[in-house]
Amino acid sequence: MTSLSLRGVTVSYGRARALEPFTDTVRPGEWLCLIGPNGAGKSSLLRAIAGLVPHDGEILVDGAPLSLRTSRRRAALVAHVPQAPSLPDDMSAFDYVLLGRNPYVGYFGSETKHDRDMVRGVLERLDLQSFAGRHLGTLSGGERQRIVIARALAQEAPIMLLDEPTSALDIGHQQQALELVDSLRREHGFTVVSAMHDLTLAGLYSDRLALLHQGHCVASGEASAVLRAETLTEFYGVSVSVHHEPDGTVVVIPRRSPGV
Amino acid sequence: MSAAQDDRRSWWLPAASVVLAAAFLFGAMIGPAGPAWWRVPLELLDRLPFVSIESGASVVQSEVLWQIRMPRVVLAAIVGAMLSLAGASYQGVFRNPLVDPYLLGVAAGAGLGATVVIVAGRSTTDSWPIDPLPLAAFVGGLVAVLLTYTVGAAFGAARASATLVLAGVAVTSLATAVQTFLLQRNTDVVRQVYSWILGRLSSATWHDVRLVLPYVLVSSAVLVAHRRLLDVLRVGEDEASTLGARVDRIRITVVVAATLGTSAVVSVSGLIGFVGIVVPHLVRLLAGASYRRLLPLTVLLGAAFLIVADVPGRMLTNPSETPIGVVTAFLGAPFFILVLRSRQAAAR
Amino acid sequence: MKVNQKTRRTSSKRRWVSMLLPLAALAVACGSDDGDADGSAATEAPAVTGGGAGGESEDAGGLRIMSLSPAHTEVLWAIGAGDDVVAVDSLSTFPAETAEVVTEISAYEPSVEVIAEFEPDVVVIGDDFLGLAEQLTAVGIDSWTSEPPTTLDEVYEQILDLGIAVGRAEGARELVEDMSSEFTAIVAEAPVFDEPLTYFHELDDTLYTVTSETFIGAVYELFGLRNIADATESDTAYPQLSAEFMVSQDPDLIFLADTKCCGVTAESVAARPGWAALTAVSSGNVFAMDDDIASRPGPRLVDYARAVAEALASLED
Repeated sequence: MTSLSLRGVTVSYGRARALEPFTDTVRPGEWLCLIGPNGAGKSSLLRAIAGLVPHDGEILVDGAPLSLRTSRRRAALVAHVPQAPSLPDDMSAFDYVLLGRNPYVGYFGSETKHDRDMVRGVLERLDLQSFAGRHLGTLSGGERQRIVIARALAQEAPIMLLDEPTSALDIGHQQQALELVDSLRREHGFTVVSAMHDLTLAGLYSDRLALLHQGHCVASGEASAVLRAETLTEFYGVSVSVHHEPDGTVVVIPRRSPGV
Repeated sequence: MSAAQDDRRSWWLPAASVVLAAAFLFGAMIGPAGPAWWRVPLELLDRLPFVSIESGASVVQSEVLWQIRMPRVVLAAIVGAMLSLAGASYQGVFRNPLVDPYLLGVAAGAGLGATVVIVAGRSTTDSWPIDPLPLAAFVGGLVAVLLTYTVGAAFGAARASATLVLAGVAVTSLATAVQTFLLQRNTDVVRQVYSWILGRLSSATWHDVRLVLPYVLVSSAVLVAHRRLLDVLRVGEDEASTLGARVDRIRITVVVAATLGTSAVVSVSGLIGFVGIVVPHLVRLLAGASYRRLLPLTVLLGAAFLIVADVPGRMLTNPSETPIGVVTAFLGAPFFILVLRSRQAAAR
Repeated sequence: MKVNQKTRRTSSKRRWVSMLLPLAALAVACGSDDGDADGSAATEAPAVTGGGAGGESEDAGGLRIMSLSPAHTEVLWAIGAGDDVVAVDSLSTFPAETAEVVTEISAYEPSVEVIAEFEPDVVVIGDDFLGLAEQLTAVGIDSWTSEPPTTLDEVYEQILDLGIAVGRAEGARELVEDMSSEFTAIVAEAPVFDEPLTYFHELDDTLYTVTSETFIGAVYELFGLRNIADATESDTAYPQLSAEFMVSQDPDLIFLADTKCCGVTAESVAARPGWAALTAVSSGNVFAMDDDIASRPGPRLVDYARAVAEALASLED
């Protein structure tokens, strides 16, 4: 169980500021979901934590700055599932998931039996063991999604970053993937930070939401606090109505203006 | 099939070794002169320690075999292995199956170096203690790649490989232009320069073999050691980076090692084209795209390939030679048609 | 964080063994160094086994010479070494006796194995840019190499040097004396002009030419002719002229050294666009020469000089 502390994290691309100073602390085992319109800075924040873009401010894992660590140590702490993962068609699923073990293999070394057993275990857990020998190009969208999550799991990293993990999936696979992440999170104690478009799902699975708009964090807190009709209208420019289920689920429903 | 699964004992390497041994024997046996082909294995066995066999070949034939043909076969193996390995490594770094070290300027740089020396003329360089031609080619190749890197870095090639490739095209164009200019003004050496550029193994001596072997061994060791890391790079530079791979370090190391090895073999054998693209592609068709398997196999099969490709060069126009660069070029054309057809098939 | 234990894989050992096998083969092959094969081929006189084309050398005790340079083939015959020649390259077509020993070996891309099988004692190579000499040394065969001569003196030096190398020093001296005296005689009988005439020596139809810093240029100089290419101050002896330069220089004489290779004649030259205006063309002073003779620094340079003298004599003044 690891905490992730973000202090004044700022990302700029050239002169353009993609993310204004962002400060938050994600508690161990918590799931923070970033929401906001396109270009709000969600991906930039995730990429900054993953070490893919330079940033100002500090990112601390268990109190120690992430930037001081070597890339292998960082990879053993933070797993990043990008928006559009690159899945080479002619690589086998097993080999792909095995890549997740890279942080634990020496520069010129090769994987050990433990690494391979671990990968086999992960594949079984995700019900993918029958795909192990198949090439990635032969897998369906849902299977590929699970494979990518499998690779992130193989990294055994306590912090998992998911950038739009379900945007390409149908509603059934969406639920399947998110349920999976959630149950694994509880099982292994991951800390999860995700970026999602679907507001209802975001509220359903995460512990907390942070709404980003043009790089600024304009709202943060539980789903019921952040997902308000006026807030969404202001920052998404969308017309919605927000409905609260008896069990506490917040449902965001798009509305059309009557009589158009 | 997974290249990393340990529940499948890999038979690829032993099989490739056998192919190489067969190619080696074939290359040693076939020639326009020398001992009859069936005497050659006897000659080879005779050389083993503690073994003494009469092959029945005359002294002259034996000399032809050991001093003229064997260095050529061995050099073909070394050059073929190095070019194939370097090609496959570049393809891993740039994630493009159609690149090889010539792309970043090694070929043009080495050609220019050789041209400069040849144009300067032997009267200028005869007094030098070492033959300047291989040295100039070697240095030319390295300088060209260095220039490519400098130009590429100035335009932000650190993150984008495509920028580096473009820089390589620019450097290649420049070097080729200078070379053509020099040749235009010194037409009496055109034949000599083109002879070098077409690539040749026909003038191989044991001295050449000793000259390149250290560079090739070091370069090959470094490249083969990186095979697992090239597999990691297959998911792209960003993802490889989040998986803990030092992408820039891997890229520089691989490019430097491959360029060094390629420059070394180019300096003694001239520019033998297509090997760095054709052999890795063929190996991929046979054994899959994983670099873990690809790199060691390209060493063995690249060596076998060039040994075999060198045979028509000395037999077809007997008693004259056809430069090996011409033979590989002839192989290159149908190869690319093959690639087109397989892409078309895959697209359906 | 979990600590990963690394255990040595046994299967990687197998991989390294199978990679070592071909290296072992390499070791066997490389084991035969040139240290082993010290000139044993040349000192023994083995029976000629294995095919090889032609190679009639009736003189068992004489030197076996092989020539890969048409120019030097002519020299060999002229100095009396013709009987010792066992093989010549495909372009060595003069004198007629070469027909008995001519092979298909290319002078530019010869197969060294085939050369070695002729078991020559010395191989005469013109310009050795392929590094043949080194390979031949490795099998104990000597070679004689040279660079294209730039003056007549260098032509003589090469002839003398080659003569010594093949044991015909006397014949070489005689040849040089003959050539020298014949040149003198030819020049003495040739017409002299108050003003030196200018000439253009055509190598091919793209205006490649020679300067006077070549052996053929030296022949023209004997007659006091001036080469228009010298005015270009080019750093190569074989420059390409521009059409404008040609026209501005307007040479008095044009010698065509591309009649055999490229089928050029005086008529075809006159038909070239713009060339009819040149003095040489309109005066009919375009002379067809023999390509081979013009490009070989050998005994037939004398014939070339004779042809130039005839051309000069034919001028209507």
